[in-house]
Amino acid sequence: MKFKINGTEKEINLDADTPLLWVIRDELGLKGTKFGCGAGLCGACTVQLNGTAIRSCITPVSSIEGQEILTIESLAKDEQTLHPLQENWIKFNVPQCGYCQSGQLMAASALLKQNPEPSDADIDNAMSGNICRCGTYPRIKSAIKQTANDLMAAAEK
Amino acid sequence: MTLLQTSRRNFIKATLTGAGSLSLAISLPGCQSLHTHKLQDDGAWEANAWLEITPANQLIFTLDRVEMGQGTYTGLTTLIAEELDTRPEDFEVRFAPADTAYRNKDYGLQLTGGSNSLSSSWQALRETGALAKLLLIRAASEVMQVPEQHLKIETKHVVHIASNKKLSFGSLAAVAAKQAIPSTIPLKSKADFKYIGKQSQRLDNRVKVTGTAQYGIDIDIPGMRYAVVSRAPFFGAELNSDNRGEVETLSGVERVFQIQSGIAIVAQSYWQARKAQEQLKLEWSFPENAPQTIDDVFKLYRKAAAQDKGDTKRSEGDIAKALDGAAKIVESEFTTPFLAHATMEPMNCTAHVQADKVDIWTSTQAPDVAAVAVAKVTDIDLSDIHIHNQFIGGGFGRRLSQDFVSEAAEISAKAGGVIKLIWSREEDTQHDLYRPASLHKLKVALDENNLPSGWDHQIVAPNIMDWYIWDASPAMFPWSPKFMYSTLGKVGLMTAGTPITPADTSAYEGADDIPYSIPSIDVRHTKADAGIPVSYWRSVGHSHTAFAVESMISELAEHAQMDEFQFRRQYLQADPRALAVLEKVAEIGRWGKTGNTDSFQGIAVHKSFGSYAAELVELQIEDGEIILLKVFCAIDCGLVVNPDIVKMQMESCIIFGATAALYGEITLENGKVKQGNFHDYPIMRMNQTPEIEVYIMDNDEPATGVGEPGLPPLAPAIASALYQASGKRFRHLPFRLA
Repeated sequence: MKFKINGTEKEINLDADTPLLWVIRDELGLKGTKFGCGAGLCGACTVQLNGTAIRSCITPVSSIEGQEILTIESLAKDEQTLHPLQENWIKFNVPQCGYCQSGQLMAASALLKQNPEPSDADIDNAMSGNICRCGTYPRIKSAIKQTANDLMAAAEK
Repeated sequence: MTLLQTSRRNFIKATLTGAGSLSLAISLPGCQSLHTHKLQDDGAWEANAWLEITPANQLIFTLDRVEMGQGTYTGLTTLIAEELDTRPEDFEVRFAPADTAYRNKDYGLQLTGGSNSLSSSWQALRETGALAKLLLIRAASEVMQVPEQHLKIETKHVVHIASNKKLSFGSLAAVAAKQAIPSTIPLKSKADFKYIGKQSQRLDNRVKVTGTAQYGIDIDIPGMRYAVVSRAPFFGAELNSDNRGEVETLSGVERVFQIQSGIAIVAQSYWQARKAQEQLKLEWSFPENAPQTIDDVFKLYRKAAAQDKGDTKRSEGDIAKALDGAAKIVESEFTTPFLAHATMEPMNCTAHVQADKVDIWTSTQAPDVAAVAVAKVTDIDLSDIHIHNQFIGGGFGRRLSQDFVSEAAEISAKAGGVIKLIWSREEDTQHDLYRPASLHKLKVALDENNLPSGWDHQIVAPNIMDWYIWDASPAMFPWSPKFMYSTLGKVGLMTAGTPITPADTSAYEGADDIPYSIPSIDVRHTKADAGIPVSYWRSVGHSHTAFAVESMISELAEHAQMDEFQFRRQYLQADPRALAVLEKVAEIGRWGKTGNTDSFQGIAVHKSFGSYAAELVELQIEDGEIILLKVFCAIDCGLVVNPDIVKMQMESCIIFGATAALYGEITLENGKVKQGNFHDYPIMRMNQTPEIEVYIMDNDEPATGVGEPGLPPLAPAIASALYQASGKRFRHLPFRLA
């Protein structure tokens, strides 16, 4: 079966029920997407399917045939140019152990694609499926708000 | 080779490596063995370097404490960077392998825990940085033929101030290694610090926002196969029968076999191993006398409490007389549950056991204990076991235990080749080594003014060292032969509290040193162990002792008809640092003035790991649910190296503590752990998180821990606010309104 990941067409031949997470990590070697719970409860495995945040640990690979997946590896434009969310994640010193942050960033970037001016409640709604055991939530929230402001300000110019 | 004897009776060696690098390494007298310091064939010294300056001008810092979110990667690098006058960002940080040279001096083991990474490295790392600077300046002075005082350091170069001529550190490495070393080395004073107290960026941010930080689970070795293990569902259960032959025929499955902890399945992919595991049918026998429910555990604790008044941990004044002469005696009982660590990165380990060596890739808090775990299940000696440690996706004490490393090594030894073992979330929750459940019985004598005259505290809980010593003890004596390992464990237990093995204070720490001025104090520990594996969990004993002690103080204030903040102030006069954080948190949290009739405040203060933390909580009860609105925290951790990391750790401790106080509970059903995943072992989420405000006290006391001290005061502060809100005392964790 075929699908597109981070802009590249891939063809794989695996059991249809294999979760997308393990395809991404072990077949395609993209280790930025993490395994946390295997049940769609923690969001560590969050990637984007056609721009929407999904939990790759409960998404059978057969269900994404012909579609487009984006992972954390696609978020920065290139080595030098990080995504504005990544810049603000650094500015606000968000990561601690860092393990959940790929999923947090993919959920946040999906949020801003759909809602460029999220309220606090919108951020809570979009992000409460992503667990951070280190408790970086207050900083994640600040970084998302700052990014939304930065992007709006840039758009107005 | 030259040596600097440092103030902590260590030596720092400065040497030139075969590759032409200047290497600064620590050496612990009396602990040296051939295995730790090998002479290379060319005679160059292959030291266990902390700092290596290569001819290509790389500054390589070997981090001997692990990075699991708490910030050592940044904090310890900042110490060495400060004295070398070089930006922390200019260092390349590598994780240390298992080696006696990298032991934590406070434990005699290479482990990261107890919030002491900074305090235990404070002096030696700064001395290493200062020595490197001195040697480089002397080398430049010799090469340029100018006086040392005409030189300065700028961006990994030594610069001649007048002419602006520069020499890179790397070009000076060889000459620097030949310089004589003074017997003492001056360190900077606080006023001269450029990075300590100011460094604001974490050095591991970039790799962690781009998904490129490598954790144990991310290791990929060509030809690697995957393993899962089905473990005994009851503690101490024996396997009666299984259908491993059937499972072995399934797609992708290579082998199914028994290991110490259960049945291992080796397959070509992780998913094939997991699917095969669903077909595995195992029958276990239930061990006699094992607890079936949590009630059984507390029955055992109560029985122990009645039979054994416990070992005295503190005795001041005359408690019997105080109780006899009391105008009134108040008694309260507090309980706390077993808790899982629930790190985001589930336990995992990749092992390659070969005929003459073992390689282990994992995320561990104790590389040397991991090596012992491997030695026990293979024929390989410690010196040929190589631990390649990685970034850690959450530790909180869980990764001090090496059960997952032992399993991976055993599977690789039996199946051959490289094996990656990954635990599921359910396995991680159900086969943890838990924060022990505890029972606290408090009896306080009140005088005729209803003020406390005697404090009698009996704590019933297991000793964590009983569980931990078996791998840890051999790691302390790495030269001992393997047949001695179990003996060493026994010796370790017998010598606890002597210079050989530290005392196990895990059950009562934080209860034996209460700072309140009460005339008679008696604190005792009654050991009771239900046979459920236990281990260190963020803030260890303080996670339950602070709850019992501070909740009792809140009750005593009420008996005295005093505001509990004022009551604490009155009884904390002998402990100015505790008093200061308490007063500060009352000030920033506006104690007594919520401004909202629906919200209620609670307050608590506790010292742990050398640091003082006070917290003030503001909460509401809405539709039968506890809503945390705000948490204020004042922290005194002595001299601050990275202020924002201190703040981050307080936020982290508060959210971790709130998770435990509001949701955290591991229970048993028919002897099995009932909880499995995040739906029934919930972790606080963003929409439940309170606003947090942290105030860092400014002082010059020695730097102390921050990874844990923010946690203990939270639960009692919530309990005190809940009492205000409901008129009910909440003496059992987690808090349940109904």
